[in-house]
Amino acid sequence: MKRIYLYGMAMLIFIVLAGCGSRQDDGDGPVVLTIWHDKEAEVAAALQGKLDELRPDIVVTLERKSGLTETLKMVGNNPNAAPDMFFFAHDKIGVYAEMRILSPITDFVDAGVLAQFLPKTIEAATYNGVVYQLPLYFETLLFMHNRALMGDDEVPADTRELFRFMQRATGGGHFGFIEQFTNAYFVGGWIHGFGGELITADGVPRLNSPEVVAALHYYGRLVRLMPSEAEFATINTLFRESRAAATIGGPWLIPSVREAGIDLGLAPMPVVSETGMPLAPFMGVQGLHVLRVAAENPRRNEAIRTVLNHLVSTDIGVALARASGSAPALAASFDLSVIYNDEMVMMMKETAQSAIPMPNIPEMDIMWTVAAGMLVDIHFRGHEVERATETAQNRAEDLIALMR
Amino acid sequence: MHSGKGSKNAVKSWTALFPALLFIGLIILFPIGYTAYISLTNMNIFNWFDFRIIGFGNYRRALFVFNSGFLRALVVTVLWTALNMVFQLAIAFVMASLLNVRKLRLRRVYKTVLMFPWAMPGYVSILLWRHGMFNAQFGLVNQWLYTLGMEPRRWLADDFSAFVICMVVNLWLALPFMIMIMDGALQSLDKSYYESALIDGAGWFTRSVRLTIPAIRPIIAPAVIITLFTTFKQFDVIYLMTKQIGARTGANIHTVLTYAYESAFVTRNYGYSSAVSISIFVMLIGFSVLVAFLRRRGQKA
Repeated sequence: MKRIYLYGMAMLIFIVLAGCGSRQDDGDGPVVLTIWHDKEAEVAAALQGKLDELRPDIVVTLERKSGLTETLKMVGNNPNAAPDMFFFAHDKIGVYAEMRILSPITDFVDAGVLAQFLPKTIEAATYNGVVYQLPLYFETLLFMHNRALMGDDEVPADTRELFRFMQRATGGGHFGFIEQFTNAYFVGGWIHGFGGELITADGVPRLNSPEVVAALHYYGRLVRLMPSEAEFATINTLFRESRAAATIGGPWLIPSVREAGIDLGLAPMPVVSETGMPLAPFMGVQGLHVLRVAAENPRRNEAIRTVLNHLVSTDIGVALARASGSAPALAASFDLSVIYNDEMVMMMKETAQSAIPMPNIPEMDIMWTVAAGMLVDIHFRGHEVERATETAQNRAEDLIALMR
Repeated sequence: MHSGKGSKNAVKSWTALFPALLFIGLIILFPIGYTAYISLTNMNIFNWFDFRIIGFGNYRRALFVFNSGFLRALVVTVLWTALNMVFQLAIAFVMASLLNVRKLRLRRVYKTVLMFPWAMPGYVSILLWRHGMFNAQFGLVNQWLYTLGMEPRRWLADDFSAFVICMVVNLWLALPFMIMIMDGALQSLDKSYYESALIDGAGWFTRSVRLTIPAIRPIIAPAVIITLFTTFKQFDVIYLMTKQIGARTGANIHTVLTYAYESAFVTRNYGYSSAVSISIFVMLIGFSVLVAFLRRRGQKA
C-alpha cells in the first residue's frame, strides 16, 4: 500500500514537472513552426497544402485552437508555449500590439510586396502605423435577395426604394427585408452610410454624433417592418425559408441558402437616399500574425520570412478564398478567370470599395457591447434615439476610461 | 498532552492528506490568492507583462461598479435566490414525496426522466429554452398562441416576464439535484414513525410538517446551502437567455455577476476586474456567514 502511495506521489510530481518543460529548440534538422488558427477544416487544409511545399526544410503544423484569443493572452510571450504565428481576423491586432506580443509583418515582407495587396486589407492590418498581419482573404456583408420574391429589376438602388419595397412585401409572416438589427456589426453599415462611426481611429466613441442619431432614426422606420427577433438563427432561417425577400448577410450564409433551393441574387449595397453614400458594412480581413517570441529566434525568424513570402501568391489566396467563401486579399487574384467569373467574390470586392475595416483598436471590444445595448434599448425597449445614444456614449466613455 | 504514537499518527495523516490539500490549494486557494494579488496591480492590456502593484486604487475605482445599477442587481439577485430556493424546495419535496408513494409503478422510469435535465449540458438546455420555446418568431410558445388565434409576444423583452422565464429555466435545470437529495433523504427515514403517525390519524400535510421536514432537514442542509450559493452567483441562465451579444432580448435584468461582467470585465482591465471580483467574493463570504449564523440560531430555537 505504502509503495503504491509513493509511486503515486512520484507520478504526480513527474506530471507537474513535465508541464513545466521547455519546448525543444531546433538543432540542425528542419525548422518546425506552429500556426494556431480557428478556421474550418477546408481552409486549414488549403493552407496546409501550400505550406507543405516548403518541406523538408521547413515543417509547418497548423493547430486548431478553441478560445484562441484568450489563450494567446495567457501564453503570447512564453517561448515554450506560444505558437510561432496565428491565423485570425485583423480586429484583435490592437489588443496584441498593445500587449507587445506581435512582430511587425514588415520585418519579414518588404513594403513593395505588401503594395500588391488591396489597400483596404493593408489598412485593416495596420495599427498605429505598423502592419501586423499578412492578409490572406477578406469578407464583407452582402446584399442578397431571393429572386422569386424580389426580381433583379426590383432590387432597390437606394434606401427609399428599399423602404417602399418593404412596405409592399411585409405582412402575414413574410418580410421585404430583414437583418440582425440589434447587432452593431450589421447596423454599422447604416451608420457609415450616414457618415457616422462607432468610434474614431484614436478611440473616442461617437455614438451620440448627429450622423449616428440620424442613421438610427432612419433605420428605426425599417426595423418596424422587420421580425420581432433579430438574432442570427431567426434572420437566416426566415431568409432560407423564403419568408424574407432580401437580407444583408455574410458570405457564410450563402451555401445553406443555395442548399435550400433559393435562386439567390447578389446586388450592390443600396445608396442612402439622404446622403448619397452607399451602405458601408464592416469588413474583416483574415491573415497571419507573427509572435514576437518566435521572431526573436534567428532560425525561426528566417523560416517565418520564407513562409510568409511563400504565401504571397495568387494560388493560395484563391484557394483560401474559395474554401472560406470570401475574397482574396492579393489584388492580382482578381485578374484570374476563376475569381473574375465568381459573382459573389466580385460583389464582395465591389462592396469593399465602400466597406470599413472593423476598427482594430482595443477600445472596439467595448463598443460592440455598448452599441448592442443601445440598439436593444431603441428597438426592443422603445427608448428615444437621442436618449439611448447619449446613455450609450456616456457608458462607452466610462468603460474606455476604465480600460487603463 | 500528545503521546509519541499520536504525533506519529498525526504526521502520517497529514502526509496522506498532503496531495489532496495540495490539489485543493492549487485549484481553489491559488486562484483566489492570485486574483487578490492582481487586484492590487495595474494589470490591463496596456501593461500586460510589466504590471506593478498600485495599492488599493482598483478598489476605489470598483466603487464605480457599486452604483445604483449594482444595488438594483443585488436586490434582483437576492430576490432571484430567495424565490428559486422556495420553489426548488417546495417542488422537489412534493416530487420526492410522490416518488416515494407506496406501490408506485414505473418508479425508476420517473426517476430517470426527472434526472434528464441534469444529464444535459446546461448551455444546450438554456439555448433550447431561449430559441426553442421563447423565440418570438419560431418559438413553441408563440406557435401555440398563434394556433389559438392569439397575438404572439416577445416573452423575453420585458423585465418581469423575462425574470419569471429565467426562473422556470433555472428550476428545470436545478430540480433534478434537489429531487435526488430529497428522495435519498426520504428513503433514509424510519418508516415506523409514519406507522405511529397514521395510527394517530395524521394526514399527509401533518406528517410532512411534523415528521418528514424536521427529519430530513439535517440531511438536505448541505445540498440546500450549495444550491443557495450556486443560485446567488448565477450567471449563465440570465446571460444566455437575455444578454448574448447578437441575441439580446431587451430585458434589463441583472444578477451581480452579469452586472459586474458588463460593467467591469468587458474593459479587459484585469486589475480592476479582479478588485470587483474580490469585492463580490467578500460579499459572498458575508452572505455565507449570515446563513451559518441564521442556521445556528434556527437549530438552537
